[in-house]
Amino acid sequence: MPRRQLVFLIGIVILTVAASVMTVVWRNEPLLGLDLQGGVSVRLVAVGPADEEMLDQAVEIIRDRVDGLGVAEPEISRTENGVMVSLPGVDDQERALSLVGTTAELRFRPVCRVYSARGASRPASGVVSAIPASCEAVATGEVVPAVGPAGVTLPEDDRPGDFVVLGLRGDEGGRRYLLGPSLLTGEAVSDADALFIDYQWQVGLELHEGAVGIDGFNAIAALCFSGSPACPRSEGVTNGRLAIVLDGQVVTAPSIRAPEFRRDAILISGGFEKIEADDVSLALRYGALPVELEPENIRLVSATIGEDSLRAGVVSGLIGLLLVAVFIVGYYRILGLVALASLAVSGALLWSIIAHLGTQSGLALTLAGVTGMVVAIGVSVDSNVVYFEHLKEDVRDGRTARSSVDRAFPIAFSTIVKADTASLISAGLLWYLTVGAVRGFALYLGLATILDLVATYFFMGPMIRLLSTTRWFAEHPERFGLPSSGAVSATAGSLRRAGA
Amino acid sequence: MSVLGALYRGESPVDFPSLWRRAVIVSTVAVLVGLASFGVRGLNLGLDFEGGTSFEVRSPGTSVAEARQVMERLDAADARIQIVDGEVLLIRSDVQDPTRATEIRDVLAAELGPVEAFEQVGPTWGDEVTDKAVRALLVFFIVVALYITVRLEWKMAVGAMVAVAHDIVLSVGVYSILQFEITPATVIAFLTIMGYSLYDTIVVYDKVREIVGRLGATDRYTYTELMNLSLNRVAMRSINTSVTSAIPVVSMLLIGSLAMGATTLREFAVALLVGIFVGSYSSLFLASTIVAGLKEREERWRLVFQKVRSRGLVDGPTRVIGRQEAAVSDTRAAPRSSPTGGPAKRRPTIAAPGAGGAPPRPRKKKR
Repeated sequence: MPRRQLVFLIGIVILTVAASVMTVVWRNEPLLGLDLQGGVSVRLVAVGPADEEMLDQAVEIIRDRVDGLGVAEPEISRTENGVMVSLPGVDDQERALSLVGTTAELRFRPVCRVYSARGASRPASGVVSAIPASCEAVATGEVVPAVGPAGVTLPEDDRPGDFVVLGLRGDEGGRRYLLGPSLLTGEAVSDADALFIDYQWQVGLELHEGAVGIDGFNAIAALCFSGSPACPRSEGVTNGRLAIVLDGQVVTAPSIRAPEFRRDAILISGGFEKIEADDVSLALRYGALPVELEPENIRLVSATIGEDSLRAGVVSGLIGLLLVAVFIVGYYRILGLVALASLAVSGALLWSIIAHLGTQSGLALTLAGVTGMVVAIGVSVDSNVVYFEHLKEDVRDGRTARSSVDRAFPIAFSTIVKADTASLISAGLLWYLTVGAVRGFALYLGLATILDLVATYFFMGPMIRLLSTTRWFAEHPERFGLPSSGAVSATAGSLRRAGA
Repeated sequence: MSVLGALYRGESPVDFPSLWRRAVIVSTVAVLVGLASFGVRGLNLGLDFEGGTSFEVRSPGTSVAEARQVMERLDAADARIQIVDGEVLLIRSDVQDPTRATEIRDVLAAELGPVEAFEQVGPTWGDEVTDKAVRALLVFFIVVALYITVRLEWKMAVGAMVAVAHDIVLSVGVYSILQFEITPATVIAFLTIMGYSLYDTIVVYDKVREIVGRLGATDRYTYTELMNLSLNRVAMRSINTSVTSAIPVVSMLLIGSLAMGATTLREFAVALLVGIFVGSYSSLFLASTIVAGLKEREERWRLVFQKVRSRGLVDGPTRVIGRQEAAVSDTRAAPRSSPTGGPAKRRPTIAAPGAGGAPPRPRKKKR
């Protein structure tokens, strides 16, 4: 038994030290949130008239998009004629722009080739030789589309004039499309609706007049219908296909079944469910946003919580921690020291994870996150308190200190697991179901709770069990904040006399 | 202090059941006051929820503190002030009335520098965010209730949910009564309180489950008495945990807001502090009352109650279960004492006929 405890103990200490060293060596630092360190603010102004409702919708869409990228905790608000987006950190200006500016566009791109599911390794492997002209340029290796590690073009390389490889929306890791340069944008679309025609859900598309509209569309339709080099036929299909691309993902890629269309009589069918048809029509109608937004200026902004508050918060936090340490050690003596060491273990691990995620994934540490951690510290201390009080109880009940240690840990740990599971459930639910600040809080709460369980099981428990095997422990229980057996019988005796 | 000392020594000095009635009354009144204030005065929602007015003032070299002083004189000290590109002050206030906003603009222009932009801004924490949070909360209640039902029992799930709801209502009530501004950080504080209260309640319940599991089958104590023993045994843990959780918050309150003048932290700390103590209180007094009330109605515990009463042991305050009895680790293995043996230690003040002269059972050395 002690041997296993020793392995746990050494393992967790090595892990903690290694994680801390890595953090220092890699210079990982937590990315402080907008409220704590400031960041960049992008002001987007609506091109053309926009009412409040449209702007609110735009805010929601942008929020979803930014949230989809991580936990950067943006601040997004409607202004009188546009939207203001602020992101934490100062190195992210381009990202901020690319997020909210360029991706707001719907593009129509011809499909050069479809890669079925996985397997298809490198695109542009030169296998397709029958494709002439524009699509052939890729096939022969004349033009190589920029492809990221996942086999699709990264968002920053997704330029309208380039060949790109993009995935199908909602089908990650599945089909990928090699697409030609964008031929038309969402500006051409005047309206789109999900319609139930011929016993199936279809999307009715209506275009504007003119070159950026039906004329442009018909030019493409002619190319694709005839299967011209710019929009080739693929195997088993009589016509070329036109992909509708939104936010770097193919929404749908229908074949073009007619050389010419009327402005208000274009139907996209594809065995859609109603919800899919709704999605496609929404994407077509709004581009990505209900209004087109143009970035007006990008600026650096300072923290929303004043530096004075921040300093005060840090100072008071440290003093608070010190007082907690004094209290714990004063009350539980050597057990208290173990509790502090256990806190240090979970704290160091938490810091390493936050710093890593902050550097690698843009996870921002906000005041909400800090609060989550402060609570978690309270909970961590409590795990120790639950165990120690159990120990005391058992010693008072007449057990030796050593046997109490063996007996109390499983019981106390089961309590801790029960209570921590409830915390984890709430953290998980809040993470999945909410957005923004609440999400950040949930993440930190969850992380810290897991680390609390780890530190309790692998550090605090084994440490005390090891201590309990020493003679010192048996001889001086009071140094561990435990009642000595003598005190117990005296108390019981006095009670008995009083009762008699 | 003597009560604390007795708790520290592991005695059972507090007669919790005798305090339950009072606790229920106090809590009910507090909840009603909180709800009434919420209904009448509502909440003071800040910039993030309701939007407001934003001013951009070109004023190189002006510090945030200086700008805040100006806003304080305009009775809008809770404005959010940022420095943009080092020379423009971006001031956002929750003022919505256009005439007041214009007044503020004029003062800012006179005192700090030219106002370059001045416009209404929408909320950053929109209705959508609130809707999602509320939905998450409802799901949370259901899932956690199910979890407690599975791990403990449904009666405890009821108690825990009431206790958590009670704590949230009181915390929000404090914000409503004092008209503190609600910010996203406040919402986080509420969630924190909720999590804390739930955690605390589960720890208490698990102790109850343990004690009832050990002593319940002896049929010698009513559920309320076992609950009392559990609460006494877990009280020191609750107090210690509250103290260690409260210390950083009190430190934030005192040092942060008084000594260093950071007013933004103050309201946040107040909410957390209220939550921590209310959370501990509700798990010890409210959550336990509900479970005891529900359990005493069960057939089994009613029988035990009648049995114990037939021995004339129930009138008066709750019997304190002595250390020897409480130390019984396995009910089946525990030797039944002689029929005349006193089932419990009693307070010296109660003269309970029939059991008074019983000699104490010998202390068990080992299990």
